[in-house]
Amino acid sequence: MLGFLVRRIMVMIPTLLAISAITFVIIQLPPGDYLTTLMTELESRGEAIDESRLQFLREAYGLDRPMIEQYFVWVGGMLTGDYGFSFEYNRPVADVIGDRMLLTIVVSFATIVFIWVVSFPIGIYSATHQYSLGDYGLTFLGFLGLATPNFLLALVLLYFANVTFGTSIGGLMDPVYLDAPWSWGKVLSILEHLWIPVIVIGTSGTAGMIRRLRANLLDELHKQYVVTARAKGLSPGRVLWKYPLRMAINPFISDIGNLLPQIVSGAAVVSIVLSLPTTGPMLLDALRSQDMYLAGSFLMFLALLTVVGVFLSDLALAALDPRIRLEGGATR
Amino acid sequence: MRFHRIRAGCLALAAITFLATVPASAAVETPFFAEQVAAGKLPPIGERLPAEPRVVTFDDDGAQQGQPGGDMNMLMARAKDVRIMFAYFYARLMTYTTDLTLEPDILRSIDIEDNRVFTLHLRPGHRWSDGSPFTAEDFRYWWEDVILNKDVPPFGAPPEMLAGGEPPVFEVLDETTVRYTWNRPNPLFLPALAAARPLEIFGPAAYLKKFHVKYADPAELKDQVKAAGQKSWAHLHNRMDNAYDNDNPDLPTLQPWINTTAAPAERFVFVRNPFYHRVDPAGNQLPYIDRLLVQIADGKIIPAKAGAGEADLQARYLRFDNYTFLKQAAKRNGYKVDLWKTGNGAHLALFPNLNAADPVWRDLFRDVRFRRALSLGIDRDEINQAIYYGLAKPSNNTVLPRSPLFRPEYRDAWTRFDVREANRLLDEMGLNKRGGGDIRLMPDGRAMEIIVETAGESTEEVDVLELIADSWRKIGVKLFTKPSQLEVLRNRIYAGQTLMAIGKGVDNGIPTADMAPAEFVPMDQNQYQWPKWGQFYQTGGTAGEKPDLPAAVELMDLMGQWRTAPDTSARAEVWHRILGIHADQVFTIGLVNGTLQPVVVRSTLRNVPDEGIFNWDPGAHFGIYRPDTFWFAKPG
Repeated sequence: MLGFLVRRIMVMIPTLLAISAITFVIIQLPPGDYLTTLMTELESRGEAIDESRLQFLREAYGLDRPMIEQYFVWVGGMLTGDYGFSFEYNRPVADVIGDRMLLTIVVSFATIVFIWVVSFPIGIYSATHQYSLGDYGLTFLGFLGLATPNFLLALVLLYFANVTFGTSIGGLMDPVYLDAPWSWGKVLSILEHLWIPVIVIGTSGTAGMIRRLRANLLDELHKQYVVTARAKGLSPGRVLWKYPLRMAINPFISDIGNLLPQIVSGAAVVSIVLSLPTTGPMLLDALRSQDMYLAGSFLMFLALLTVVGVFLSDLALAALDPRIRLEGGATR
Repeated sequence: MRFHRIRAGCLALAAITFLATVPASAAVETPFFAEQVAAGKLPPIGERLPAEPRVVTFDDDGAQQGQPGGDMNMLMARAKDVRIMFAYFYARLMTYTTDLTLEPDILRSIDIEDNRVFTLHLRPGHRWSDGSPFTAEDFRYWWEDVILNKDVPPFGAPPEMLAGGEPPVFEVLDETTVRYTWNRPNPLFLPALAAARPLEIFGPAAYLKKFHVKYADPAELKDQVKAAGQKSWAHLHNRMDNAYDNDNPDLPTLQPWINTTAAPAERFVFVRNPFYHRVDPAGNQLPYIDRLLVQIADGKIIPAKAGAGEADLQARYLRFDNYTFLKQAAKRNGYKVDLWKTGNGAHLALFPNLNAADPVWRDLFRDVRFRRALSLGIDRDEINQAIYYGLAKPSNNTVLPRSPLFRPEYRDAWTRFDVREANRLLDEMGLNKRGGGDIRLMPDGRAMEIIVETAGESTEEVDVLELIADSWRKIGVKLFTKPSQLEVLRNRIYAGQTLMAIGKGVDNGIPTADMAPAEFVPMDQNQYQWPKWGQFYQTGGTAGEKPDLPAAVELMDLMGQWRTAPDTSARAEVWHRILGIHADQVFTIGLVNGTLQPVVVRSTLRNVPDEGIFNWDPGAHFGIYRPDTFWFAKPG
């Protein structure tokens, strides 16, 4: 087991390095750099910026160095906890991202809870009442949520909430609370705004969850040990809870690897449409304006979370399901 | 008020002063500051105003005296957009009035000799927003330690401070008087001071010296550079000295409001400046509105937020096609929607590339008959009706009727839809051979297919090109649309790979004779019709191509004449010759102008004109209408 752990951690390092190189190259691929973006933006309003000032800024941001050197400066900085400098915000990247992290985690966490709370009962019901009216009806609802375009649903709900409840459009709280300290009013205002993104992002995730749980449970329910348990007179509820459900949860555990990065960057499109103060829109803007270090450090952070998440879900699976062996993985 | 005194010889000296004055003792304490004054944290109003504050008058149409108080909400898409607020504030050394005459604002008065010698008089007792005195030292510091310092941008005098390539001689006459003397006239100087993004010739010296190697304690400065993560003291200074960017809450300002929030933030709070230099006739210190709250939201959602009544004043990020939606919710959410005219010389224009790399096309584009034929082959009325609901005006890319330089022939030359005349011109050029689909053949036998490139930012441009393609087919010219991306498009234009581009016309469609005709002369490679000539001028002849078309050479000469013209009427004459050449030569093919900008205004907000002009420079969008005089009426 210890050998497995060490090996896994050793593999992570080259993985992350490869990701960092690819990320850096892709961010640099579009023509120009942050300063050309800045220049065009200024000129679109009829302002001019002269070449000498551009050169000065290029030096300040280190954009005049060769690409490979820029890369090593960035990676070296990350190892020492310096994620570089955001041009757009004119501040260190760590400060910029930190501000938005909390609300992002709140939104994503609420969404994940929503998905589980909705899809679990439905999935169990669908499996135990296969081909019933309820099974079809609820599954249909789930697919409907999957099929409606998120951004459209978001806009419709926004309009609806504004007209009927007078909720302010977009954002996560009423403008009056934006820089106010935490208070009950602020929390309530956040809850008032939170339900829209949660429903929008959640509905698209429930269908998959329902189907997977249903399929896994159906597999388990027809197995011999279930029949035996039934024959011995256990109540149907106990039969369901004791073993089959635990077996059926496997895919959810292996999903943790994907969940972690999702908590941080989940549903960027919806966040953009709803103008949520989360990290998704920030990442998109950073990519668009070629704010290199902000975008790069961000993507690296997501990569790290994915790698760690997969690692954790492997460990959890091994602990939960004795059928899974770790030793085979190393020789493959 | 303006009066000219003629001295001996023919030395004209214009002095511009304000006659109305309110003694500082008659000023009324602002309720917003009453508590701070009582607690002794802030001096009383009489000590906060300069000895001669600027008294604003309300003789403009419909504006009225107001009452102080209230918060104004606005929406912006990005943290960086707070720089636009600096334009809205529009306190400048010199400002434009709404009829585009220049008057001193921060300055008490200014004396001008021959457009060469400018003597600036400050207001005694004027203070920065942190209470420190605003004096000639702030000008000296900026001139000697920033502009002339080779380590800090702008690395020498900016172009507006050069006359005949020479910088001025700067003198401090006394604590409140400075003088700039050029050897030749510099007509660019005053308009640059009054621009939306003004020419900076002063800065808060007392504050900035903390970051300047010449004045700061070396050890402390080193620590500060390190703490800010900057490369050198010059970079730190440059980071701290951007008055226009509004990104440093510690930087003292003379504007009506002070930014108190550092990026990144979801909301930026601007608080009134206790030392602001303008008062109303009743002695209330301006601005009327206590705080501006700028909320950051994604640009695409801003129309929806404005429609929900979340903005008290909003124009940026609202497009004409949002108008119906905004209008529909206006009553319910307590605002009104005005339509302001935009100030572009043409909302859209076609730019035939006279520097195209393809020699056959280049020769065709340089033939004035070809350009005229293309212009005559466009049905501008149809475009106006189909795309702009008939609310725009068919027009060349030239000055708007609001400009004193306007003449109908500039707008209308070659803009009628006349297929027969267009075909006659093309036949006369010898382009009478036709190939498949009745498309004319070029001299080298290729089919005449013009690819027009757009930046692809709006479908509007593509729709317009679709209509032009239909009417050009009638003159035997085929049009293809190629959307790309702005930076890519520009690089293709600079290199001559683009045959023709579509884009906005001149930025300033309401110039006066005293504003430089630079947009009509090959001086910038961003002029899509002659990028290489513009580059030639910009780089001092080291890159690009020397203008070789007689009309373009003449434009360059006229620009030189405009610079050295002795007075306004001589400059107007030069302007008219330039505009005449443009109308006759059709260097750019303007389509429509006078398009409309929706402006959302809270029902209780007063003094915002119903029909303004939405222009960047001159105008600073809202700035020229003095947002410091906007006020909220009590509901009821």
